[in-house]
Amino acid sequence: MSAMTAATTTRPDNPPKPATLAEEGRRLGLRMTLPTQILILFIAVFPLLMQIYISLTDWSPLDGVSWVQAYDSWNGFANFVDLIQDTRLWAALKRTFLVMIVCVPAQFFLALGLAVLFIDNFIGKRLFYSILLTPMMVVPSVAGYMFFMLFQSGGPINGLISGLTGFDVSIAWLSDPNLALIAVMIADVWQWTPLMFLILLAGLIGVPEDQLRAATLLGASWWQRFVTIMLPRIKIVIVIALAIRVVEIFKIFDTLYVMTGGGPGVATETISVYIYKITTQDLTWAYVAAIALFILITLSIVANMGLRRIARRS
Amino acid sequence: MKRSLSFELLRYALILAAVAITLIPIVWMATMAFKPIPEWTASGADLTWWPRQPTLDNFRFIFGQETSELIVALDKTAVRPVISSLLSSIFGTLIAMVCGTAAAYGLSRFNVGGNLPLALVQLRLFPPMAVMIPIMIMWSFLGLVDSWWGLALVYGIVTLPFAFWLMKTFFDEMPREIEEAALVEGCSRFRVFMRITLPVMRAPLASSALFVFILNWSDYLIGLLLTTKEWVTVPVYMASLSSSMTGQLYGAKAALGLIAAVPPVVMGIAIQKYLVRGLTFGALKQ
Repeated sequence: MSAMTAATTTRPDNPPKPATLAEEGRRLGLRMTLPTQILILFIAVFPLLMQIYISLTDWSPLDGVSWVQAYDSWNGFANFVDLIQDTRLWAALKRTFLVMIVCVPAQFFLALGLAVLFIDNFIGKRLFYSILLTPMMVVPSVAGYMFFMLFQSGGPINGLISGLTGFDVSIAWLSDPNLALIAVMIADVWQWTPLMFLILLAGLIGVPEDQLRAATLLGASWWQRFVTIMLPRIKIVIVIALAIRVVEIFKIFDTLYVMTGGGPGVATETISVYIYKITTQDLTWAYVAAIALFILITLSIVANMGLRRIARRS
Repeated sequence: MKRSLSFELLRYALILAAVAITLIPIVWMATMAFKPIPEWTASGADLTWWPRQPTLDNFRFIFGQETSELIVALDKTAVRPVISSLLSSIFGTLIAMVCGTAAAYGLSRFNVGGNLPLALVQLRLFPPMAVMIPIMIMWSFLGLVDSWWGLALVYGIVTLPFAFWLMKTFFDEMPREIEEAALVEGCSRFRVFMRITLPVMRAPLASSALFVFILNWSDYLIGLLLTTKEWVTVPVYMASLSSSMTGQLYGAKAALGLIAAVPPVVMGIAIQKYLVRGLTFGALKQ
């Protein structure tokens, strides 16, 4: 469409060419998107159909029959009925949401505070900025191992606490059910506050300078300028930053699994860890497929509602 | 804007505190990699931040130059995992970049492809764990389990949305006049893309490729599920460096962690200004 208008407006003196050019462009465009379309078909559409099929059976890789013959153990919607009664699944979901409602606000406010400090120029800004962004580039499973070491009972965190308080502290962070979840949250905040910081700072720098100066002339205090001009201007940025973190925390696996393996017991078992465990230990793949479908459907509904709302706002 | 001295002091104090917290885990792992075994034990009998007798033993150990019973117990050195990670990440990046760039150009210039962009966002939304069962079945059917090319294929598809969205924002911003001049000269559209567009977009292409490489290199879950023995990746191998026979191999793991962490951090700093766009799918064009 845009290619066609461009072609007709820029070369009106050359009538036969624009039509062929536009047509050539359309054909080339279709051909260029083809590999991606095929990959999506291969990795998203076909697997999804396969997942639906398997979720309606009782198939497991241990059965000795190929998945094509899974209909031998057809059991209708039994997996989905089981899933409603699966207390471990619901506990894992609840835990995932707990991590979400603690970590996302923590990351947001820490990042907003830092971003505010970085709006104007000061000596060392670039260096500090680079250092503060480092955690998000560290491989998550390696970050998991870092925090695994830090939180050992004889590790540096206890060492630091001992040093600061004078008591000889040796808390077994990762083997206490309550503390393990907190340790996991700390690791997530450490790793992903930088991303929020990066996004919010990008938003804040985009706020027009003259509006702020005008407000200053009118006698607005710094806080008033922040609340009445800056925050409303970056509302969409904030929504995007929060949405990204909510989605990502729902998927939390690498860092957490390396730190605690979901334990002690099931104390840090989030939804991905739970699915991973039953996939690799119980091998009840039909049931896993049912859980996965349930999550995919729920997430799509939530996401589509959210996306539509964002689209309407912007 | 002029600020008061107390504000400046407060700012530096807060930023330095944040910097310290940021660096603690990194410094601990980096120094850990150079500590000999007696300088750190799980009981914390000897907690030292700086290695008193720095050693390269940990690196020698994981790369198998140090003969030891432990390495026999582990059955393999870290050489293979490093090669596996490199091969699968590089080829995964190639797949994502070739398909993603082509699709992004097609969509950006000719407006074809329908709801491809949305489909790609959705693909990114779902937990990888929730879509892996059919992939594992397909991969074992196709004989792709425990091979670097099997991993590369999955990596390519998983990171395709990032490559696509990054390149699409770059193509959208590229002035069309450059291409139109060549079209007037009688070049075909495809020739224009190959001879004009791609060379002009060298820097964005390189940044996107680095970005995608970081994502592939960082993966743990997919490697954990799709490799078993021959082609385990660095994170998977690192996590396996503890067993009932050897216990936690803190120093060795830290050395490997350092090797795994350095490339993405260096690349990340190099492409800092593209990180926002990459991670927000270009939703924020700052």
